[in-house]
Amino acid sequence: MKMKLNKIKISLVGIAVLPVMLISGCKDYFDQNENPNLVQDPPINAMLTTATQKAALNMQRFGGFTSYYAQYLANPSASGATDTYQVTDNSSEWNNAYYAMSDLKDMMVKAESIGAYQHLGVAKLLMAYQLGLVTDTWGSAPYSQAFWIDNNILTPTYDDEESLYQAAMTLINEGIGDLQRSDFTVALDETADLMHHGNAAAWIKTAYGIKARFLNKISKKPTYDPTAVLSALDSAYTSLHDESHMNVFLGINPWAQTAVSNASNLLGGWLSDNLVNHLNGTTYGLVDPRIAYITDETVNGNYVGTRNGQGNVGGANTIHDECYISQNCVLTNDTSSLVIITYPEIKFIEAEAAWRQGDQQRAYTAYLEGIKSNMDKLGVSASDRDDYLSNPTVAVGAGNLSLDLIFKEKYVVTYLNPEAWNDMRRHDYQYKDFRMPVNAYLNTFIRHVAYPADERGRNSSNVPSDGSLDTPLWWDQP
Amino acid sequence: MLCFIFISIKAVAQQKTIHGRVTIDETGQVLPGVTVSVKGTAMRSQTNEEGNYSIQAAIGQTLVFSYIGMEPLELPVGAGNELNARLKASSSGLDEVVVTALGIKREERSLGYTAQQVSASELNYNKQPNLVNALQGKVAGVTISSTGGSPGQGARIQIRGINSIDPNRDNQPLFVIDGVLMDNSTSTQGASASGRGMSNRAVDINPDDIESINILRGGAATALYGLRGANGVVVITTKSGKSGDIKIDYQGSAGFENVLRFPELQDTYTQGWQGEYDPESFWPSWGPTVEEARAIDPTHPEHLYNHVKDAFTTGTQYKNSLTFSGGTDKVTFLSSLSQLNQQGVMSPTDFKNYQARLNTTFKLSDKFNAGVNMSINNSGGYRGNAGRYIEQLIYWTPRYDVNDYLEENGTMKSYGSTDNPRYVAETNRFKDDVLRFIGAANFNYRPLDWLNLAYRVGIDTYRDNRLGTALGFQDLVGERLVSENGTDAAPGMGFVNVYNQNFRSINSTFVASADHQFSDNFSATLRLGQDLYDRYVRREATEGSNLTVYNWFSLGNAKTLIANTYLEKYRLMGLFGELSFNYKDYLYLTVTGRNDITSSLARPNNSFFYPSATLSYIFSDHWHLPDAIDNAKFRFSYARIGKDADPYSTSSGWANYTSLPTGYSGFTRPSLLGDPTLKPEFTDTWETGLSMAFFENRLSFDANYYHSVSKDQIINIPVSSTIGYVTAAINAGSMRNQGIELSVNATPVKRGDFSWDTRLNFSANRNKILSLREDLTQIEAGNEFGYLSSNVYMWLIPGQPYGDLYGRALKRYYTDDEIAAGLDQSAEIDPNRPLLIGADGFPVLDAVANKKKLGNVQPDWIGGWSNTFNYKDLSLSFLIDARVGQDRYNQLANFYSAFGMAKYTENRNDHLVFEGMLADGTPNTKEVWLGQGVDPATGVDYGDGYYRYIHRGVSEYFVEDASWVRLRSVSLSYRFPQKWIQNNFVKNASVSVTGNNLALWTNYSGFDPESTTTNSGSNVDAFAGMTYPSVRSFLFTLNVGF
Repeated sequence: MKMKLNKIKISLVGIAVLPVMLISGCKDYFDQNENPNLVQDPPINAMLTTATQKAALNMQRFGGFTSYYAQYLANPSASGATDTYQVTDNSSEWNNAYYAMSDLKDMMVKAESIGAYQHLGVAKLLMAYQLGLVTDTWGSAPYSQAFWIDNNILTPTYDDEESLYQAAMTLINEGIGDLQRSDFTVALDETADLMHHGNAAAWIKTAYGIKARFLNKISKKPTYDPTAVLSALDSAYTSLHDESHMNVFLGINPWAQTAVSNASNLLGGWLSDNLVNHLNGTTYGLVDPRIAYITDETVNGNYVGTRNGQGNVGGANTIHDECYISQNCVLTNDTSSLVIITYPEIKFIEAEAAWRQGDQQRAYTAYLEGIKSNMDKLGVSASDRDDYLSNPTVAVGAGNLSLDLIFKEKYVVTYLNPEAWNDMRRHDYQYKDFRMPVNAYLNTFIRHVAYPADERGRNSSNVPSDGSLDTPLWWDQP
Repeated sequence: MLCFIFISIKAVAQQKTIHGRVTIDETGQVLPGVTVSVKGTAMRSQTNEEGNYSIQAAIGQTLVFSYIGMEPLELPVGAGNELNARLKASSSGLDEVVVTALGIKREERSLGYTAQQVSASELNYNKQPNLVNALQGKVAGVTISSTGGSPGQGARIQIRGINSIDPNRDNQPLFVIDGVLMDNSTSTQGASASGRGMSNRAVDINPDDIESINILRGGAATALYGLRGANGVVVITTKSGKSGDIKIDYQGSAGFENVLRFPELQDTYTQGWQGEYDPESFWPSWGPTVEEARAIDPTHPEHLYNHVKDAFTTGTQYKNSLTFSGGTDKVTFLSSLSQLNQQGVMSPTDFKNYQARLNTTFKLSDKFNAGVNMSINNSGGYRGNAGRYIEQLIYWTPRYDVNDYLEENGTMKSYGSTDNPRYVAETNRFKDDVLRFIGAANFNYRPLDWLNLAYRVGIDTYRDNRLGTALGFQDLVGERLVSENGTDAAPGMGFVNVYNQNFRSINSTFVASADHQFSDNFSATLRLGQDLYDRYVRREATEGSNLTVYNWFSLGNAKTLIANTYLEKYRLMGLFGELSFNYKDYLYLTVTGRNDITSSLARPNNSFFYPSATLSYIFSDHWHLPDAIDNAKFRFSYARIGKDADPYSTSSGWANYTSLPTGYSGFTRPSLLGDPTLKPEFTDTWETGLSMAFFENRLSFDANYYHSVSKDQIINIPVSSTIGYVTAAINAGSMRNQGIELSVNATPVKRGDFSWDTRLNFSANRNKILSLREDLTQIEAGNEFGYLSSNVYMWLIPGQPYGDLYGRALKRYYTDDEIAAGLDQSAEIDPNRPLLIGADGFPVLDAVANKKKLGNVQPDWIGGWSNTFNYKDLSLSFLIDARVGQDRYNQLANFYSAFGMAKYTENRNDHLVFEGMLADGTPNTKEVWLGQGVDPATGVDYGDGYYRYIHRGVSEYFVEDASWVRLRSVSLSYRFPQKWIQNNFVKNASVSVTGNNLALWTNYSGFDPESTTTNSGSNVDAFAGMTYPSVRSFLFTLNVGF
């Protein structure tokens, strides 16, 4: 009996002790709070790669729908939603822009903390740029309460458009200041910087170009200051060589991809008749040699566009009897870069600002240089280029230069860039023979886009009402 | 830690040794392990393997013989020294043995909570290969939905409604097989996998191996399993061998299946747009009538193809299983092998499962026994992307034959810019291959007759290899690029995606039980235990795209490679105790307490305690009730259960940015915003019930009411992208579930050779989201696209039940004053108001921002009714189940409207006057035309027409009542009479015919309101549009025993 009792005692004590030992010995066993699939301290240059690629890709994404409003592109199916000004859901573009801006916010925090001022400047510039993409499309949008890390707010309120504009201007100005500092601790890495390959001076020029664009955007407002625009331009690009080039893709250039798919019956990238008629002599009576370098001839040996909202006409839509985005164009081939702001566009901003200021000569020189450099970029032969430039409808002389002419020529150089829709709205769509799409859902031209379905689902108490899509945004009004 | 050692010695006069043997009354078999005690004392003994016992007692005392599952027997000690006992099996259900938490066998009578048992024969009579499907309609309070009809398709099981607000959190119960915590997750690893109906892992278990399943429902039932049992527990016990001759059992079945129902489509109008025929048109059905088209195009067929029906075929199913069992007194074994091969109704989907099992038990001594159960299986097959298939069938015009999908050179044959869905399904494939091993060992040691030590340890491990392939582009003349068969960056260029998941979980449970008889009337049992669960998951993926050789699926052939890995470790330990008291065998009180430590929350929130208490009062044994009442039991329980977060919900950091080619590296914010201060959520459940049996068990019922509230729910909510994340982990809100469960069993007829058994299950759950975090007005659980921004959202809104559906509605008429007061902005549609008709004579779409509530996804009640008729050797069973009151968004119907394929669009050339009011309050009288283009009667140009401008943008038309009643299965079986089987080789044989999913009664216009476009691991069951159609199947089975 005694033996038994002892045995019992031992076994019971054993039972009692075992779990206690287990708990005390293995405190770390239950500590699994660091996710092995995430890194805690990413290198600033790796963040730079992400930032530069995302900014360029977002430009292309936004261009992917604004080009229908600017009538560069048209839907091969009749009554396409974007074509005909229907309420569309651009959640994907909105989300991509904000994810990119959040990464930039983190990059700014890290750069500030380690003193990587060049990276800080780049981040601020790209933040301003993409904030611009968002506000130019939708109007008011979250910013001061966004990105989580400053304020831990899950449902940010929407800042009004003017504050967003001011915020962007501040970011650009600060960014330029940061890029100019010489006491940075980490240099922009040549490989990791997908836009300017480590060249801080080039970044500064890009920043001034973007600044000029922003300053020029409020051309309808009484606060518009053409002198400020020109002053910014003086520090921007001086040749095609200054442009930023982002051509690192998982596959090929997204515009080229559209062309590839289109050639194999996944239709897309069809050129609008507004663009084609502009270039093939129908609208302006002069064939623009750039047409052969932007797109290809149809099977009938001519250049034909598709009317927005009408869809394919003529033969079956498998017959290539209209023009599309082409892989033979320097801007849209497999290895083409995405360029967020081009030298020709800079020249046209200069032409417009100078004209508004009354400096006709400067405007005219910039105007001609803009056309010339764009033609050079596209590969137009020198003789064709010079023939066009000396044609009396183009070379009207400084005294006869009009805003209509400036916008007309600028339309060609901003091919597929989301900025084109901004210009179009600023000029109130006053382009010769520019037509409403067939069966449009609005009575007049579209001025902004409806807020994305994702925002309405997840931040519904803050999303403003869309209003009618033909109501102009803040900068689009006097 | 408490240690009880009770020794009480009573002085007794003239003790002598009484010995005897205990046997089973019906069969004469000896019964080892029977407890023999002297009434009124603590003297106890047990029978040995031969059924013999010996004990000290005096004349005049009474010996009590008791054994689980048998009626207790009392015999007086007389002059003799030998006292044999014959025990009868207990007829009262209350003495039935139920396997409860942790494999502890309890008598039904002592349980204060609800548990429902399903025996092997009930489980398997309708021959479902997925054991979750096999439970459909058989258990009250359990909702089981098959997500679709593909072979091996995942099935979702939910006990007592949703108790987690997070749409992505597993609301499914814990599966335990022979004491091993078994993984029943559904992995959606792999591009496009979430739309392919991947299996829930319970599909790996062969239902024929199952002896019984016990569903533990309420909080108290699961308090001993801890937080993993917070959604209920499904306790599976597999068969074990019996000592005696070796028995061999063979079962073979063969069957076929077809799609149960197809939506009704119009067959009058053909391809084209605005009434104009165009054989290359993108638009499948907006053209002219067939005759008009044939006038233009003589090659146009006389009748339009019924292409949706043509796209599906007849599926087949073959299954063979063989079971060997036998053993001696010391060792028993059961070994089974089975093979299942199923071909789906959508080519080329299939599913195969090869399973093997070996269960052994060892009796090493009187005090020590052990067992080892092992099973291994290899399952998997080709999984179809049903949603995409059906969507592509919408774009396909019935003017062409969809089965004519190959050109001579083997590339896709199609028209215009449309893809042929059959071609895509054949060339864009996804296959999974799972090899799984589940092993469990258990040990039981009874060192003293009042102390039992049990230890179980088990391992569940599997590897899941998946392969996604798509044919690339050959660049032949005229070859069509199939963008689906590629990536966004390289559409149509083919891909080869290789995925691998390694899963390993180990769990160990130790329980020490001590019982003590304080007096004749009062005894108690104390259990203390510890369990540990350790899970490790590793996933790897290598996706290769842009193939050089179009049909060589080797990673080296891909120009672009993207790779990533994922690692997850999770640990959970629980310490628990249970104390139960038994007063006179009619009043039982059990109290439990458990403390869990989890690795998914950060200290100090990772350790938490929760208790439970249950009471069971068998008042029929206490009071004298009329004879008709066999027994009556009243139950009451309270339980609190804690729940932790998904692993890494507390983490932050940066993730790989995957859009860069080789040579570049970037980092970006991860999708989830983690929160290190996450606390556990707690659910408090009160439950009460009554069960009674009458007329010698010819009639019995079990009724239950429960009320449970979950607080501080941990949810990953989708958040606005403006904060830089896709989802955020938060403690948000509380939810309440309350409801009733009722099951009634009866044998209305029992006469001679004929009997009729019937069982009815009914349950109704009412759910309410009590609150969310202060700054949240709603959480979006999911949404599905609808044209013209008529997306339907499933929102979780405080004050409403889980799963409200919101979408775009038509404007109703409001007076100007009412509009000024903002009445038209309310979320509810007033059914009494007329529609607002615009000046053009058409109803008006409300603003996108002004969404209205269109329905709710939860049912009002669910029920199942099964009947079995037995006549001599024939047996007929049928099962009807119903789910009533739920709504679903039918995206299929939305697309059918937009593309002119729905039957009701045949009215497109009619004129009508829409009923409603104009803005000025006068009734509408304007007649309009429903067609496209210019109305030939009036010359008015209607542009794209009513269906394109308005109808397809009205979510109201597509959120449908999805209530259904279904004839789930009918089974007829015949056992061959003994005299036919004259030889010694074959011992018994039977054949049966089973039909599953035979008839569906519903107003829902899609394929099947039970299916869902989300996978079986998701809680979002709002969308039943483009799903894999459910199937009606017939199966013929032969069973032979040797």
